[in-house]
Amino acid sequence: MIELQNLVKRFGSFTAVDNLTLRVPTGQFFGFLGPNGAGKTTTIKMMTGLYEPTEGRCLINGHDIHADPVPAKRSFGYVPDQPYLYEKLTGREFLHFVGGLFEMPVDMVKDRINELMEIFEIGPFIDKRAEEYSQGMRQRIVLSAALIHDPKVLIIDEPIVGLDPRSARLVKDTLKRKTREGLTVFMSTHLLEIVEELCDRIAIIKDGRMIFEEHRETSRSMTGTFNGELEAKFLELTK
Amino acid sequence: MRELVIMFNLKAQGFLKSVFSPSLPSLVKNLSSLCIFGGFAIGLFFLTRGVTTYLLQQAHIGQFLFHRLLSMLLYVFFITVNLGNMIVSYSTLYKSQEVNFLMAMPISHTKIFLIKFVDNFFYSSSTLTLVGFAILLGYGSVFQLSWTFYFFTMFFVLLPFMLIAGILAVMILTALIKVATRIGVRWLLAIIIGGYLAAIYLYFKITNPVQLVHEVMKHYPNVNEYFGYLDPPFVRYLPNHWVTEFLYWSVNGEFARAIPYFTLLFLTMLGLIVLAGMFAHRYYYGAWLAVSDLQAMKGPGEKRIRLRFLEFGRKAFLKPQTDVFIRRDILLFFREPSQWMHLLLMMVLLMIFLISIGTLELKLTQPLMQAVSFLVVFLFNGFLIASIALRFVFPSVSLEGDTFWSVRSSPLSVRKLYWYKFTGAFLLVLIIAELLSVASISMLRNNILLTQVAAASTAFVTLALIGLNLGSGTYFATFKEKNPIRVASSQGASLTFLASMVYLAAISSVLLVPLNSYFDSLIREGVSHTQWVLVPMATIAVLSILVFATSTSVGLRAIKRDL
Repeated sequence: MIELQNLVKRFGSFTAVDNLTLRVPTGQFFGFLGPNGAGKTTTIKMMTGLYEPTEGRCLINGHDIHADPVPAKRSFGYVPDQPYLYEKLTGREFLHFVGGLFEMPVDMVKDRINELMEIFEIGPFIDKRAEEYSQGMRQRIVLSAALIHDPKVLIIDEPIVGLDPRSARLVKDTLKRKTREGLTVFMSTHLLEIVEELCDRIAIIKDGRMIFEEHRETSRSMTGTFNGELEAKFLELTK
Repeated sequence: MRELVIMFNLKAQGFLKSVFSPSLPSLVKNLSSLCIFGGFAIGLFFLTRGVTTYLLQQAHIGQFLFHRLLSMLLYVFFITVNLGNMIVSYSTLYKSQEVNFLMAMPISHTKIFLIKFVDNFFYSSSTLTLVGFAILLGYGSVFQLSWTFYFFTMFFVLLPFMLIAGILAVMILTALIKVATRIGVRWLLAIIIGGYLAAIYLYFKITNPVQLVHEVMKHYPNVNEYFGYLDPPFVRYLPNHWVTEFLYWSVNGEFARAIPYFTLLFLTMLGLIVLAGMFAHRYYYGAWLAVSDLQAMKGPGEKRIRLRFLEFGRKAFLKPQTDVFIRRDILLFFREPSQWMHLLLMMVLLMIFLISIGTLELKLTQPLMQAVSFLVVFLFNGFLIASIALRFVFPSVSLEGDTFWSVRSSPLSVRKLYWYKFTGAFLLVLIIAELLSVASISMLRNNILLTQVAAASTAFVTLALIGLNLGSGTYFATFKEKNPIRVASSQGASLTFLASMVYLAAISSVLLVPLNSYFDSLIREGVSHTQWVLVPMATIAVLSILVFATSTSVGLRAIKRDL
């Protein structure tokens, strides 16, 4: 479960996130939308402990990410907007490194790597150094790293950027399956068709404030998706 | 020409905005920089003035010999500027994102080369320019020269001298890249390091400062004309010799004899600029493409050494978090040639220093000279620890780089990460520093108490310098910079190094008087009074712990900052 309570982030006189409050219950796939510079990545960075909120709190599975960071961080996986890796380490080495950070035993890490190799089809390049990877390869390694410790919450900033259609399908299917298994997903994206396909609930943020929130089940279109109306709604709200 | 004006204008604006930013933290940072750089320059001024006065007015070595020694120092300075420019220019001219962008623009390759050369020279030589100017002022003040001398020498002698070193560096690098495409990068790096070591060794072998001093002192004071013919012929073609000759004749009021050397220097600089332009027109784009190809060829075809015991997935003997950090850091260190080759080079220099100490036969009878000789070796050890710390510890947090997200978002406390970095660096540097300290001091003087003093002081100096470099390296961390050499030559790094020098100066001033008294009682009474070294030791301990605690507190706050 994710809970943001009156979250504010200011950079000098500029307010990037302004009094944001929302709650994502366990097992929900939450889409976080907004135009460029709306405050999506800033919110995610506060949720993952990379930024300190100016005001307010972020609770991940009941733990305040800033007051009680270690248990909070133990329970989520994070995929950043830019899939940076250690250029001189191989994908496998990076996954072992992340497994170690989550204090997983070596044998368990090995087993998880084997599972993730099948899920994300990273086997052909996992033993090459990251300096040789394309954007899509990096993205798949980072997604594998986020899932290596089998987290309860997944926080994703732009998951599909740079992926070819086949890889994008792999990621979408995996996320769908994981959500059915009880994973809570908080996803920021610009791609509305992905939101329509995957999300149970969406919120739109603009200038750091939440301007729209809707649940699939309460949507007027109510055909199981946001039914193409999302784009028109988004453009109208964010103009 | 218009593109050049636009680019230089943009760069100047960027620089001025970074220096004169209206924010309070920036103002504090710039004022601190000014104080430390200013303090360092003033210190260097008085040091140069003191050494020059001592050598000329007390040791009476004579102006000829003094300028020969100055020439040797300028040679080392030339090599330092040259090597510094060469190391940094690989990143600036061949691997920078800005060059990738400019190469796609309708700008000639020669202009891109020129823009990036100026950028590179400014970046890698600004601190050395300050050093050069402070030394020049200190030297000139002994001879009571006019301000026009300083102005002329700074801009028309010293700057061309440094530019010659810088231009040669980028030209040599371009040629070497062409060679690298044929023989491979590893062999090329080995050849460069070997070449520079050979150049320094041969220069001092041929000019031989010790022999020169012995010979000159036999003929003192009628040596000026006689030894003028003793310069090895090749020395006359070196820019350091021209600068020294210019200075020698200028301070003696014979400007007519100084002008040919200035002309030679200035024309060489102009000639090299023209040559560099032609060279860039002919080879720069090809070399840039070669570097891109070398980058792209990494991997499948390249033979790699595998250190199996370091590989991930092996049984961990430590806690998982510590285990993966150690494996990661060792692998990243050995997979980055600039890291391990630089360390290797430093170790070679350290061995040369130890061998030199071993062959010294100091027959000093004066207590003050005994104390000074001990302090010089002790300070050199401190300088070496400061250099290692600056080069390898200062950039360690910056080198977490863009991938720091993976550590910061993991269940690891950043305090723990900081202490992990500190412990690793402290233990490794302490081993090197203690070996160096004990070996050098015991070789210099067979005195158990002094060796113990040196060993204990070295431990405190290591604590302070590692704390200082890690703390300020965290405070000035630049996660976007991937090149450790550029991180270690940034403004923050220069400030840290100057702060290290101030700390070492404070340590030596604490030690000088008690050591003098200690040697005095040892020489005159044959008694070793331990109390003379216990009080300064306690002072050093307190001072070092203060430096360590302050720096660590700054570092621990900085590592928690927003990423």
